[in-house]
Amino acid sequence: MNAGIYVHVPFCLTRCGYCDFNAYAGLDHLRSRYVAALIREAELVSREWAGEEFVSVFLGGGTPTTLEPADLEALLEGLRDRLAVTPDAEVTIEANPDTLDAAKLEGLLKAGFSRLSMGAQSFDSKVLEALERIHRPDGVRRAFREARAAGYANVSLDLIYGADGETLDSWELSVREAIDLGPEHVSAYALTIEPSTPLGRKIGAGLVSAPDPDVQADMFFLACRLLGEAGYRHYEVSNWAKPGFECVHNLGYWERRPYVGLGAGAHGFRGNRRSWNVRPPEEYLVRVESGMSPVGGEERLKPSDAFLEEVFLRLRLLEGIPASWVEGGRAEPLLETGLLEDHEGALAPTDRGMLLLNELVLALTS
Amino acid sequence: MIDSSRIRNFCIVAHIDHGKSTLADRLLELTHAVAERDMRAQYLDKMDLERERGITIKAQAVRLSYQSGGRTHELNLIDTPGHVDFTYEVSRSLAACEGAVLLVDAAQGIEAQTLANFHLARDAGLTIIPVLNKIDLPAADPDRVARELGELVGWSPAEVLRVSAKTGEGVTGLLETVIERVSPPEGAREAPLRAMIFDSSFDPYRGVVAYVRVHDGVLPSRAKIRLMAANLDSEAEEAGIFAPEATPVPDLGAGEVGYLVTGLKDVHQVKVGDTITLAGKKRAREPLPGYREPKPMVWSGLYPAEGGDYGDLRDALDRLKLSDSAMQYEPETSQALGFGFRCGFLGLLHMEIVKERLEREFDLELIATAPNVEFHVVRGEEITVVHNPSEMPQPGTYDLVREPVVLATVITPSEYLGPVLELCQSRRGEMVDIKYLSPERAEVHYRLPLAEIIFDFFDQLKSRTRGYASLDYEHWGYEKADLVRVDVLLHGEAVDAFSSVVPRDKAYQYGRQMVERLRELIPRQLFDVAIQATIGSRIIARETVKAKRKDVLAKCYGGDITRKRKLLEQQKKGKARLRRVGKVDVPQEAFIAALRLDRRPGVKS
Repeated sequence: MNAGIYVHVPFCLTRCGYCDFNAYAGLDHLRSRYVAALIREAELVSREWAGEEFVSVFLGGGTPTTLEPADLEALLEGLRDRLAVTPDAEVTIEANPDTLDAAKLEGLLKAGFSRLSMGAQSFDSKVLEALERIHRPDGVRRAFREARAAGYANVSLDLIYGADGETLDSWELSVREAIDLGPEHVSAYALTIEPSTPLGRKIGAGLVSAPDPDVQADMFFLACRLLGEAGYRHYEVSNWAKPGFECVHNLGYWERRPYVGLGAGAHGFRGNRRSWNVRPPEEYLVRVESGMSPVGGEERLKPSDAFLEEVFLRLRLLEGIPASWVEGGRAEPLLETGLLEDHEGALAPTDRGMLLLNELVLALTS
Repeated sequence: MIDSSRIRNFCIVAHIDHGKSTLADRLLELTHAVAERDMRAQYLDKMDLERERGITIKAQAVRLSYQSGGRTHELNLIDTPGHVDFTYEVSRSLAACEGAVLLVDAAQGIEAQTLANFHLARDAGLTIIPVLNKIDLPAADPDRVARELGELVGWSPAEVLRVSAKTGEGVTGLLETVIERVSPPEGAREAPLRAMIFDSSFDPYRGVVAYVRVHDGVLPSRAKIRLMAANLDSEAEEAGIFAPEATPVPDLGAGEVGYLVTGLKDVHQVKVGDTITLAGKKRAREPLPGYREPKPMVWSGLYPAEGGDYGDLRDALDRLKLSDSAMQYEPETSQALGFGFRCGFLGLLHMEIVKERLEREFDLELIATAPNVEFHVVRGEEITVVHNPSEMPQPGTYDLVREPVVLATVITPSEYLGPVLELCQSRRGEMVDIKYLSPERAEVHYRLPLAEIIFDFFDQLKSRTRGYASLDYEHWGYEKADLVRVDVLLHGEAVDAFSSVVPRDKAYQYGRQMVERLRELIPRQLFDVAIQATIGSRIIARETVKAKRKDVLAKCYGGDITRKRKLLEQQKKGKARLRRVGKVDVPQEAFIAALRLDRRPGVKS
């Protein structure tokens, strides 16, 4: 049933202050062992996932482009040999502008990574500094042009808004710059602070201001307007795409299609089971290399859990949920206040509703 | 049956922490009332709560056998509370005694409660034996304190007893003095039975147990008894004494103190202060005089945190009432907090103890509204008593309001006199006089509105005198006051639990403080929420909680879903505990935090 493959690459050149992903700088010596282990893990799960067709592969991280194109090509081949990836599957790789050059881009495309998701984050160097990103705005423009030159026809840019010191004007500039480059897809994320990150600790200590949710709301609506005017469809809370370029892989999460997760800390989902691999890369390697499953935990979803997931995941999408899922009377106040819209029997979130999704879900389900 | 000339009924009265419970322990040991292996500190303070707080809240009567001059004496020790809230309990204990040991810490000297208890005991006609405790402490100054104490009681300083309850030094001498100085009880065994109930408890198997002092006649173990005030007959099942555990006896004669299993099951039938006599022809004609009904001075609404626990709370209050006759309660409904009870307490400590006992012994989670005093609203000839600020009528609909005023006694080292006077003055106080116990210690009398005392007066007093001042007060009466009701409105709806009656000139400050604190506590809703403080229809302060605009999780990919679902489940549970005021959802925690505010106007806590 149109499954996906998520591959986690936990290596980074440096750690960014806001990032709480399972990512590490300084583990480069593990790269080749890690690629081999990913293929070995695919082998381990291949029987369980036999008969499933995979319509997407997504290499996330971390910074997958810290791996050499040759390794990446071998990895993709290894996966295709063990799991039934369809020929026209969407194959995405996340990239930081710094890790890209013309040769690498050509290598990646040749290796089969036809979709590039580039972490631009901002076109304001002050904001990039606040986020502790090492690249500069020029690097994004350069990398984007090189990607086009290499033949990439499906590129997504990631943006982050709400960092300390970012103004609405600066954000407008970043969105306009992104639009001017003309990517097929844009993700714009409100900066979210995790207390355990360096940035979270700085905020906790009062050294940096926390993002103001009201300012972030203004930035969100600005993005909605500018991207909408430029022909992008706001298909998920934080995602916009030119028609036909919605991310097949990510849609799988929100539509609750199954996915296999490979690599340290990767999550998988199938039927009523969610599972996750152990997080430390060394532990992952030791387990897989000795032929053991790297799964570190799992949960079985009760029907009520599955229903709650359906509601809060599908409400992230433009299409919303069937009105029949909601008990009578609960949707009406939300329709009246303009947080939901009635789309021929479906309850669809408006832009305002998307921003208050938590409230929507609680109002509809409790 | 012991000759009543060999009975002594006495109590120990003292300021808190002056060592009363420790002295009681030594007396138990000295008279071998408790086997050594069973002895534990503060033996008589049976309840856990008492032991932890280091105070006694329930009078206990224990019989001690003591050999003196070749004769066995029966000493009934009635342990009494020491806190200002429990003056009434002290008075009941006193009425069962002929003598009182006035115990004073030899380092601290006379404190406000020492004076209050002394006056109560003297007014009850008891023989008072002044005793210095803690003479083993390095900081003790027994000569100075003996002079102070001797002067108070009218004994020469040399006669004042000196003991260390901790080491036992001087305690035998104390017992001898009790036998020598305290009169044996009067009362004729042949007269019709009259026994005073001075306390009670409830036993789940045996029903209501009354603690009694027999004044006249004989109370047999099994008898048909009559409760005179309650106008009720019952078959008593067992009489006994505390030695110190409950021990049945064939009967209790005139002068004796003990317990009676009344045979009654309804807690409200056995009233403290009632007189027990025999039913039928042998009954006494007149009940014993002297007890007064306890009068609650501080009121607060108690509500179950979970609405469904209302029945449990009612049962718990019924049970508690039996061992705490001073507490009163009546059902009340708050649109914000649901079904609960308006409860009357003797004071703030009493309120805290009741709340804690309800939560601990009955496993209830409670929300308490801010405490308030009782107001008398005068309209022509008619006086309405108001226990709940939200029931205070609007200005203009009555002639005047009276509030309770107390006569407060503060004893302070002279060097802190200035700050003490300043505090009393800022609390609408009116000075009565200042006396000096010695050049170093002053005794200040002030008339103060009780409402001012029940906020943080005691804490303020302690912090301004580095803990050295002590406070006691007695009720003075009701006096006219310029008070107004301040209401708090959320989105246009008055929240009854937040209404307060405050002095008019502090109303604005109070309103401002309340709306500012609520703005911090009330979470943002999907619409702007106005928080207003009003007097009648006039708005005196306003704040706005701006509408919430963003709560979505920006990223929700494969690895985020489990965490997000669990978070939502928690929030759903939290939502079930929200209190709805009109259209506004207020978390229980916000209610509790707002009600915990120091509600006295103009003081930031």
